[in-house]
Amino acid sequence: MKPRERCKEKDPYEKFVEISCSSSSRWKKREKMNTVSLNFNFLNDVGRPHVLFRASNRDAGMRRFDAQKMLRSRLGSHRHFEEISSPCNVENLRNTFHMNAMAYLPFSAPALPSCFSCTCVRPRYKRLVDNIFPPNPQDGLIKSNMEKLTFYSLSSPEKLDRISEYLFQRVSRDISRKRTSYVIMAMEAMDQLLAACHAQTLNLFAESFLKMVQKLLESTEPDLQILATQSFVKFANIEEDTPSYHRRYDFFVSKFSSMCHSSHIDPTTRNMIRLAGIRGLKGVIKKTVSDDLVENIWEPVHMDKIIPSLLFNMHDSKYYSSVTKTDREDVKNNPGQMADACLKELVGRASFGNVKSVLKPVLRHLDNHDLWVPNDFAVHTFRVIMFSIQRQYSYAVVENLMYHLDENSNCSAKKRTSITHVLSKIMSFSADECIGPSVLEIINSLLGHIRISAARRQDASETTYMEALISCLGEFTAHLPDYQKVEIMVFILSKIPSENSQTDILLREMLLKSLLIVAKNYTNVSLSGTFPAPLLGPLLRLCSHPETSLLGQEVLQVLLDRHGNLLRLQEPSFETCYLVSEPVSRPDAMFLKKYEEDIYSSLLLTVTDPGHTVQGALTLYTTLALIGIMVNLHTLPTYLALLVRIQDIALNNHSLSILQKINLHSLVVILLNLIANLLTLSPLQAYARQIIEFRRSGAPYMLEDLKENYVVEEMTTETSLMLDEGKLAECLRECGLDINTLSRVLTHRHSWIDSTSGNMRGSNLDLTADLDSATSTPGYQRKYPNEELTFESMKKILTESPEVYKILEAKRQRELFDLFRNSTFEDIVNHNTVKDEDTLQCKLEEILSRTQLSKPTFENQPPIFETLFPELFSC
Amino acid sequence: MDDYKFLFKVVLVGNAGVGKTCLVRRFTQGLFPPGQGATIGVDFMIKTVEIDNEKIKLQIWDTAGQERFRSITQSYYRSAHALILVYDISCQPTFDCLPDWLREIEEYASSKVLRVLVGNKIDRDDREIPTRVGEDFAQRHNMYYLETSAKESDNVEKLFNQIAAELMEQARCKELPRYDDGNLQNMNRRTTSVDVTCCGN
Ligand SMILES: Nc1nc2c(ncn2[C@@H]2O[C@H](COP(=O)(O)OP(=O)(O)OP(=O)(O)O)[C@@H](O)[C@H]2O)c(=O)[nH]1
Ligand SMILES: [Mg+2]
Repeated sequence: MKPRERCKEKDPYEKFVEISCSSSSRWKKREKMNTVSLNFNFLNDVGRPHVLFRASNRDAGMRRFDAQKMLRSRLGSHRHFEEISSPCNVENLRNTFHMNAMAYLPFSAPALPSCFSCTCVRPRYKRLVDNIFPPNPQDGLIKSNMEKLTFYSLSSPEKLDRISEYLFQRVSRDISRKRTSYVIMAMEAMDQLLAACHAQTLNLFAESFLKMVQKLLESTEPDLQILATQSFVKFANIEEDTPSYHRRYDFFVSKFSSMCHSSHIDPTTRNMIRLAGIRGLKGVIKKTVSDDLVENIWEPVHMDKIIPSLLFNMHDSKYYSSVTKTDREDVKNNPGQMADACLKELVGRASFGNVKSVLKPVLRHLDNHDLWVPNDFAVHTFRVIMFSIQRQYSYAVVENLMYHLDENSNCSAKKRTSITHVLSKIMSFSADECIGPSVLEIINSLLGHIRISAARRQDASETTYMEALISCLGEFTAHLPDYQKVEIMVFILSKIPSENSQTDILLREMLLKSLLIVAKNYTNVSLSGTFPAPLLGPLLRLCSHPETSLLGQEVLQVLLDRHGNLLRLQEPSFETCYLVSEPVSRPDAMFLKKYEEDIYSSLLLTVTDPGHTVQGALTLYTTLALIGIMVNLHTLPTYLALLVRIQDIALNNHSLSILQKINLHSLVVILLNLIANLLTLSPLQAYARQIIEFRRSGAPYMLEDLKENYVVEEMTTETSLMLDEGKLAECLRECGLDINTLSRVLTHRHSWIDSTSGNMRGSNLDLTADLDSATSTPGYQRKYPNEELTFESMKKILTESPEVYKILEAKRQRELFDLFRNSTFEDIVNHNTVKDEDTLQCKLEEILSRTQLSKPTFENQPPIFETLFPELFSC
Repeated sequence: MDDYKFLFKVVLVGNAGVGKTCLVRRFTQGLFPPGQGATIGVDFMIKTVEIDNEKIKLQIWDTAGQERFRSITQSYYRSAHALILVYDISCQPTFDCLPDWLREIEEYASSKVLRVLVGNKIDRDDREIPTRVGEDFAQRHNMYYLETSAKESDNVEKLFNQIAAELMEQARCKELPRYDDGNLQNMNRRTTSVDVTCCGN
């Protein structure tokens, strides 16, 4: 400024001489800042018509030439002119030329009468800019002059870039001179111009604007940094028609992220800087997120800065753990909440491909800062993510967290448990969005983790982890539609191992628990929907297997139960009025009719197991009672036959202890009473009461309470205390039912055992055998070579001690293996197919004859197939 | 004044407490901060130096050495022109960690980044790592080597000036034809292009 002031006081000519000769270094430095275009524009103001100058404005060389010519004509021959034109170096020429032009101006005054004083020869925009600053910085921007500048920039928007560039230079100078108040004013002016200028002209202005913001951010002054951020946010809020693709934001992301981590000693200032950092990041996101071409904010280079910065503040402010959410005013001043909101906005904008870019740094941050155990913050973070993510992508979050669990499979069980907890917390959000294969993928992954965990050395924390996995699975499936739950149950069943190694036993137990948790969330509407063949078959197999019977039956019970009867059926009792039952629907009755033999034969196997406990008997009671609720008159005979069968085992199976036998007898009478009451068949009720009465006097130990330990020397097997087939048949006849059914069922009953015992006892080979076809065609019984299905053989199975049987069975199996190993494929095919066809033929005939027989029962009703498929019979 | 010709990003890394922040503050503010607290996340400083009459602006990113900030600090490596890897000559573990740091640099920084190994705190008399050892290590890993004291201001200026000079040299070799036009707007655009070529990715 000084040289100009001097020029006012002194003779213009002298002034010229003085400046051009001495050219103080400071002056030189300052002027060097000006661009070529500015300089020439300045010349334009001096003497030439605007239009002319514009015309020659095509390139710098042109301008230089033009200006030189102009200058020459204006100055005539002067002793300093040589100095102007001689330098060979362009740069020097420019500097010298410019300086001299400044200096010579007073000489050209006659040509431009209005330009007598030195200030007025500065370009108009510069003057306008200079004028907004008050001499005394405390006064603030001079409002009226600011309006003038705004008006000028609006009326000649092509000057915007020069105005902003000039403002930027002033700011740079003021910052280095620590004249903070001027800096603040300049920024304010910049903001006002930004607000005033139109979208089309924004690009002209933006470059300098951002340079200015950056300049302020680079200063160490918190105030300036905060101010700069505010301006940046204003800028970010402007919707641009055409985003400027060359604009780069990496500095801003880096700097704002750094501010988010401010460790300023003064807490208030620290908070302010951090808040500013978060706002700045929010601004960058806003500016870039809609258009990847501007700057791909989802690139790891940005996300790895933005995400940890937000999480750091979310965690550091501790607000996430406060019970009462603070009021709105606080949101603005709490970095944590601010970061929270910012993360929400970011996540909400993420497309499918970007979800991973967000989650990766999230997971890394939680790892690095040990935020899994305890996991409050992790839960909070994932809640925020799940709340804000576009619904259709929420599955990707689950998937990524799942991968993270995979990656951490060697971490402490505590951490794994914590991750799993987080997973189960977010499962509910994503389940409704999951479709088809992804559901099974998640289930498969969880089951995989259960498997890995089961193979580990077991301790308390490992068990907790497994439980967490199971509850996670439950949480996930709870939100799925029921048909998918069935699919999942079938899937889990397919994963249950049949081996008996230590890990497999544990794994099996865990998978059964998983199965149970899915089953618990299932609502049974129809039996056939609940138990499709691929579910029923394997489940029954598990029920019949001593090791898995209890859990298997528990699953069965949960699935069977419809009215909360399960809870009321924990303790055996003769009291049945508290049970809720409804008329059995036709499809359910059909289902039971179709599968009753499979179901009962599987359950009977648990009874014949000499190792079965009181718990086993209790479980069996609950299962059979639940089935009893589904029984109607058509399925009653088989049910009664089952009870008789159980009683037979109790009477004849020598491998059972007396206690076991007593409990089975009790079971039989309890169930008889139950079914009689449920169906309100008075003859049957009376018969049941009669047996109960007899037992009360003759054998009170055979009543409702099943016993853990009870010393009985000799158990009565007096027939009056037992169920009698003849009496049962009579009761049925009295109720108007065909007694043939019962007697036929009773004579036929051994075949149930045949089929299943053959299957079950066959151990591993059979467990993996395809049971589906066997269950779906109930009349068909599987046979093995050399296995005879005579009454004798059955009796042998039941009477001989299991050891003997096992040995025999093992021997037979060896033979079978050998047969398959050593004979040719053709042999095996011939050997088996012929036999199978025979069997099939027999069975078919048997089934056909049976349907014929049972027909009279349904006499007054049309055949079931006619009811179900009327269109097939309409003609 | 914003009349620099080059802009370079320098990132400091190394174990917690080796004196990174002290080095930066000594260089940018000319002081040795008493009771300097551990850096959180990343700090930022700016300083313009003059070499061969050229103004060079250094953007200095001072990262936290603490493990828990590793993920955010790594994200700053990528755009660095120069990485200063600092250890404490009086603390063997900080030297032992150098291979880990190199691995990180290898993974996250540009392959063309200028790498400088700095043994700090030479004012201390309980030195554990002899100069030779540090030098050897630097040589083996193709790094520049310098020993400094932020406290006594030994070699601090030299460290940053040499980095600036070296980076300028590199930039000139690649970009020379575009540098002799001195106006500011062009200059800024050019700085960006230096970024691009120096960062590679
Ligand atoms: N004697 C001596 N002490 C130093 C020197 N430089 C730093 N220190 C001390 O070392 C300690 C750590 O210095 P910082 O600069 O905070 O270390 P840092 O590398 O930034 O640490 P982080 O930010 O945690 O990564 C402080 O107590 C300093 O006083 C030095 O040159 N000589
Ligand atoms: Mg530090």
